[in-house]
Amino acid sequence: MRLKAIATLGVFSALTALVAAQAVPGLAFQQAAPGARVSNWPRESPPRPLPAHSVTFPPYEIRKLANGLQVVLVNHNEQPSVSVRLIVRAGAAQDPKDQYGLAMLTATLLDQGAGNRSAGQIADTIDFIGGMLGTGAGSDLSFVNAVVMKDSYDVALELMADVVQRPTFAQDEIERQRQQALSALKVSTDDPEAVAGQVIDRLIYGFHPYGMPGAGTTSSLAALTRADFVDFHKKYFVPNNALLAVVGDIGAAEAMAGIEKFFGGWKPGDVPAQSVTEAPQATKRVIVIDKKDAVQTEIRVGHIAIPRKHNDYEAIDQAVKILGGEGANRLQQVLRSQRQLTYGASADLDTYKLAGAVIAETDTQTSKTAEALRVIVDEFSRLQRERVYDDELAGAQDYMVGHFPLTIEVPDAIATQVLNQLFYELPVEDLPKYRERVLRVTPDEIQRVARWFIRPAQLSVVLVGNADEFVNDLKGVGFGDYERIPIENVDLLSVDFQRRAPARPE
Amino acid sequence: MMRRLSIAFLALVALGTVLWLVPLQAAIRPPKLEYQRLVLPNGMVVVLHQDKSTPIVHVELWYHVGSKNEKPGRTGFAHFFEHMMFKGSKNVDPEQHTSIIASVGGQANAYTNEDTTVFWQTIPAQYLPLALWMEADRMATLRIDEKPFVAEREVVKEERRMRIENPPFGLLNELITFHAFDVHPYKHPVIGSMNDLNAATIDDVRDFYNTYYVPDNATLLIAGDFETDNVVSLVNQYFARIPKSSTPVPRDIPKEPMHTKERRVNLEQPWPLPAVVVAYQAPYNGHPDSYPMFVMSKTLSDGQTSRIYRKLVYETGLALTAFGSSSFQEDPGIFYAVALVNPGKSPDEVEKALIAEFDKLKADGITDRELQRAKNQFSRDYILSRLSIKEKASQMGHAEVIQKDMATADGEFDTFLKVTTDDVKRAARQYFIPERRMVMRIMPKGGVEEVAK
Repeated sequence: MRLKAIATLGVFSALTALVAAQAVPGLAFQQAAPGARVSNWPRESPPRPLPAHSVTFPPYEIRKLANGLQVVLVNHNEQPSVSVRLIVRAGAAQDPKDQYGLAMLTATLLDQGAGNRSAGQIADTIDFIGGMLGTGAGSDLSFVNAVVMKDSYDVALELMADVVQRPTFAQDEIERQRQQALSALKVSTDDPEAVAGQVIDRLIYGFHPYGMPGAGTTSSLAALTRADFVDFHKKYFVPNNALLAVVGDIGAAEAMAGIEKFFGGWKPGDVPAQSVTEAPQATKRVIVIDKKDAVQTEIRVGHIAIPRKHNDYEAIDQAVKILGGEGANRLQQVLRSQRQLTYGASADLDTYKLAGAVIAETDTQTSKTAEALRVIVDEFSRLQRERVYDDELAGAQDYMVGHFPLTIEVPDAIATQVLNQLFYELPVEDLPKYRERVLRVTPDEIQRVARWFIRPAQLSVVLVGNADEFVNDLKGVGFGDYERIPIENVDLLSVDFQRRAPARPE
Repeated sequence: MMRRLSIAFLALVALGTVLWLVPLQAAIRPPKLEYQRLVLPNGMVVVLHQDKSTPIVHVELWYHVGSKNEKPGRTGFAHFFEHMMFKGSKNVDPEQHTSIIASVGGQANAYTNEDTTVFWQTIPAQYLPLALWMEADRMATLRIDEKPFVAEREVVKEERRMRIENPPFGLLNELITFHAFDVHPYKHPVIGSMNDLNAATIDDVRDFYNTYYVPDNATLLIAGDFETDNVVSLVNQYFARIPKSSTPVPRDIPKEPMHTKERRVNLEQPWPLPAVVVAYQAPYNGHPDSYPMFVMSKTLSDGQTSRIYRKLVYETGLALTAFGSSSFQEDPGIFYAVALVNPGKSPDEVEKALIAEFDKLKADGITDRELQRAKNQFSRDYILSRLSIKEKASQMGHAEVIQKDMATADGEFDTFLKVTTDDVKRAARQYFIPERRMVMRIMPKGGVEEVAK
């Protein structure tokens, strides 16, 4: 049996990960080939492709219930399973001040008792039929997902309807999940990767909601009450604030009948408008988090960018892909292929509803920290100063366009694309026009957007590693002005990231 | 709170049964995998699975060599060599394999585990000839030069630091296998130790290539949108010209003896929470006893109803997370459970609770309902792990290479359905005995374990 019978319960899927090597594109440095095993092997050019098949975006349907619930249906009957996904338009960004972790913990509690079922009964129902049920929250959204075999579609809907509409928030379940969240927090505050991610977000977004710790803090988690969960749920978990996707081996009529039955009676409500906070301007600030026993330094470099609906999204996305995306990737070439400083480097464009960021990330051995940092910053400068090569952009676009059929193979991937357009209020008609959208971007346009949005002189930098071993090198690469904080003292809510009061006893 | 359910339903809930809700009496059947299997004159096995639903194709080449084929002092070699396969061949420039695939919109990568090294690419269907041609090119004519070899070693060392040494709990798997095995190379981490990586020479690399990267040690899986006649002629064109190896591929792997005494291991690591591991010796993947043991692993740790989660995480709050793993491989391995101890709880209690779950399996086995749940979960796993052509190729590769029988790709499903509660109890009594047990505790603080220097 191929399937590894592993269930990682909680946050530690990485514990059981196989060692998988990532192969990466690199520079072609010409070298003479030594004697290969097959000596009479011919010198050949790559073979020509076969005739191409046409690629079309697969059929899907969008419906709306009278109560405002938007529904996406994708019928795909290769395997006898059905996936049901519900998204609510509220996440950690809706956490009130000092109530960080509220959206996350609310989501966690949804399936710990709902309707007339206890946590144990919910788990038993879904586990027995060989189904899966998951809940969670991101920055802008909360979700409930279920996967079941096709003959259990109604069971999944009935459970989800309870979990989404009628969570119990029983006090003993609250205490249980609170303790779990506190323990998870203790682990993540010691994890260089997690800490680097949280600190760069706080640096870039400041005290804007996207900069705040969505997993909560020890004190915010301790202070949350049942009334807070009930209130959060009541405010945001209404059908006119939600999207539902049913994907898999089920026809539209049957899918809709179930949705009407279990979600038709869900009462709409008035969703409070999000108070828009301006994200701060980019500033050059360097935070060194000292972790004495680290053998590597986690490096994050970035600044504020654009929200998802920005008109220049496509061009900016491609600029960032050239810097550190899949296909053509300058950071990976320079840091891994040319200098062997890292196993992997990348740059991502995060685009949320209200704001976004461009963040480059890598990890390198401690002694190479300053060198790697300098290389990354130089690549930001280069992207801003120099026009990208025509063939470099063409390479990135070839990848994106050619990759399209790979993104419509499995039903959940199709649904995700439709859900994304709906969630960000982008035109769904654009989905089949992906190719045209990508190819419309020119090197001139990349240069135009890179000039205004890339700010090499105002990069936020986070370094998490054994500080003694690299801080003296920072001045030499132009980052001598840094703030140093021991990892156990990091406080994401403080302006200078320094914990004032002593850590609370455990 | 809304009350929309009937009184009758509430009564049933009060009785503690929700069975009537469940339409499923027997596990739903996954569709059969249709495939063709050919063997080239040079010994290479080819497995084809046609799926025209999306115009893409997945090509996967398995070499039957993994970390268990490494000699002491040369750990990490199979994985390191996997990196070398991207250093160019006669017709492909160094580092170009992946970017050529990317330039047509495809993805390419590779992974190494204890038993195999697998290279794959998923591409738009019309580029099938390109992928086959590139795989054949590097099987036949890999460039092995000193300079890129030395450079790539630094990348692999960074990979080790990133995956294993730097994250909290990153060393956990390595510590478990190091202490659970005496002589079998499953003892050693796939990625190898820093010392061994540094000690490797270019001659080792060439030797490894000539020994293991030969057609009679390779299995080619092709899944997706293709015409069978066309793909057979392409495979012949590019792979049949590679000669069979002149010497048989060595299979002299040390066997792990049955342990005769419980082992207890106490370690320290700079981790935020203590970890407790309870491990038992287990049979190989496909051994008749492995099926009831898989069933037990479901009962112990799949889902919130599973026994370990229920007891250690939900009811007692002893653990932040707890899971079991039946890491069944080509050779006999281990069956283990791990728990991360919550602050304020004692590793003693956690150890007792974990062992109690194994002892309970020995004493009482599992219930009919637990057995049915495990079967339903297997059915789900089968179905969900065959949604994409990549996953299908992986299932077929495992059946062919690890189980040495393609028929198991579907046939194992029936084997699972035949498992009984008696089988489970019998296997539990046979395997979960103290003599074959390791109990390991890893406490926070202290220095770095000297296991893999």
